[in-house]
Amino acid sequence: MAVYKRTYKGYEGALTPEWSRFLILPRYAWASLFKQRFLLILYVVCFFYPIGCAVFLYLNANLGALASLIPGSSTMKGLDVGGTFFNIFTATQGSLAFILTSFIGPGLISPDLANNALPLYFCRPFSRTEYVLGKLGVVAILLSSITWIPGLLLFLMQWSLADAKWFEQNSWLAWSIFLGNIIWILLISLLALAISAWVRWKVIAGSALLLIFFLGTGLSAAINAVLRTAKGEWIDIGANINRVWAELFRLKLGDGDMISVEEAWVSLFCTLALCLWLLWKKIRAYEVVR
Amino acid sequence: MSAAPPPIAQSVIAFNDVSKFYGEVLGVNKINLTIPPGITSLVGPNGSGKTTLMNLMTGLLQPSRGTIEVCGMSTNDPETFFRAVGYCTQFDSYPKGFTGFEFVYSFLRLFGWDHAESEQRAWKAIERVNLVEAAKRKVAGYSKGMRQRIRLAQSISHDPRVLILDEPLNGLDPLVRAETIGLFREFASEGRHVLISSHVLHEVDIISDQVILMSNGYVVAEGQIKGVRDEIEEHPIQVLIRCNKPQMLASKIFESEHVVEAKVHVDGGGLLVKTRNAGEFYLMMNRIATMNGIEVETVAPVDDDVQSLYEYLIGGDEGGSK
Repeated sequence: MAVYKRTYKGYEGALTPEWSRFLILPRYAWASLFKQRFLLILYVVCFFYPIGCAVFLYLNANLGALASLIPGSSTMKGLDVGGTFFNIFTATQGSLAFILTSFIGPGLISPDLANNALPLYFCRPFSRTEYVLGKLGVVAILLSSITWIPGLLLFLMQWSLADAKWFEQNSWLAWSIFLGNIIWILLISLLALAISAWVRWKVIAGSALLLIFFLGTGLSAAINAVLRTAKGEWIDIGANINRVWAELFRLKLGDGDMISVEEAWVSLFCTLALCLWLLWKKIRAYEVVR
Repeated sequence: MSAAPPPIAQSVIAFNDVSKFYGEVLGVNKINLTIPPGITSLVGPNGSGKTTLMNLMTGLLQPSRGTIEVCGMSTNDPETFFRAVGYCTQFDSYPKGFTGFEFVYSFLRLFGWDHAESEQRAWKAIERVNLVEAAKRKVAGYSKGMRQRIRLAQSISHDPRVLILDEPLNGLDPLVRAETIGLFREFASEGRHVLISSHVLHEVDIISDQVILMSNGYVVAEGQIKGVRDEIEEHPIQVLIRCNKPQMLASKIFESEHVVEAKVHVDGGGLLVKTRNAGEFYLMMNRIATMNGIEVETVAPVDDDVQSLYEYLIGGDEGGSK
């Protein structure tokens, strides 16, 4: 029998804060994602519209100066920048965010499952929650940079360009921009992660994300037509988010049949809960073999 | 002056009536174990519960019943527990697209070390498994042996107190295998736990301080190999003796009630004896040899190794890799 000395001493030095460790996953994922030229170009394209909006806000606020440059344009009047402007901004950037997610999201979890890498994460001081947060961070932080962050920058820009009265009347927009975009980001990120956890093939997972939206809209329309109801919209994620955005940006919607904004919120939260449940079932150190 | 040794509970891995079921499928059942520091081998056929036991030890699985304490720690305190445990999985498990260095480095960052500390530890671990030259290549392009080594590097990189290795010698060439075994010994010599599951029984024999034999989710035997062998009474211990007068020796040794069989070799240069008490037999044989002028060349037990334990306690062909 071997006789062993007990000379081992563990590390007792400084550590990074526990809460920040999930950010290690996005850091690596982004480095890998931006090696793909197509994604890099797509990401850059996502900034064109916000830049265009910034130029528009500047010109809109300086119409007087512009009028002096164009003969006969002394009667030009600036457009109102308010809920409609930021709703269009949110919808446009939201669509781009969706396209970006359909390329990034499906490859986030499935490779770890295919390569049996989950035990490696979970035999460290790193929980399932932190893993999901880390993977969510890959998409959510990226999408934030093209949605609510430029949205709020535009809001601040308009505030600085317009008079004090504008801010008094439109300060609520900041919260609407943030909340409207965050709910959308959470929704598409978690959907993409849940699909990535359950569908191992990247192409099929990407297609499944698109299918959920288009199939939802089609099925919703069919249910509404056959049953002569508006309740079919419960499964139409696109319609629900538009309903919520319209409410947040205080827009008037048509008088046609549609579910209430409360029902739209509930529908979106149910979708989020379902995605989390699907992730919780699949993100385990080991698959349970029955 | 050296520090006082830690209390027993803080230096052993303890399973207290642990069971794990996957739905209705049994993983392991009613496991009671106390594993001291040193090299311990888990031996058993496929599906015997070795990997489940390792997953329970590493906190990757929670027991359906019972409790597990690893050096006084439990998974209820993940920050401390997972820092003390290093796990090398049996399967190729690495995130896609990583180089060997990135693989080790990035998982070190999850422990909460900064860039400089993680980088230094990653290189040190990679150096210990002799993979420095290939460290900047993608893991996907590694050979089986290199993948095995990089997995080993990630499991030792955070300097764990308990190292759990599922089939760590698979795919390694003889030289690397010897180096790896040396690494295990080095770890154990510092009073750490090294738990190995292996099918290569003669290697288990060489490297292990103690073994745990498993079958169908149960622990069949545990302890030092010799101690376990002595307790298997239904299989008398076989002793090979090479001497100049085997017939005479054979006729005398039946004076001991523990000797149950003696076979003289065809070449007349030795005999094989089966005895239920090896210790007493050796004493008696010395006495007989001295009194009768028998020159004994070799005395060697034949079946006090893991291979024999495996055959006696578990049976089948699984242990045939000797």
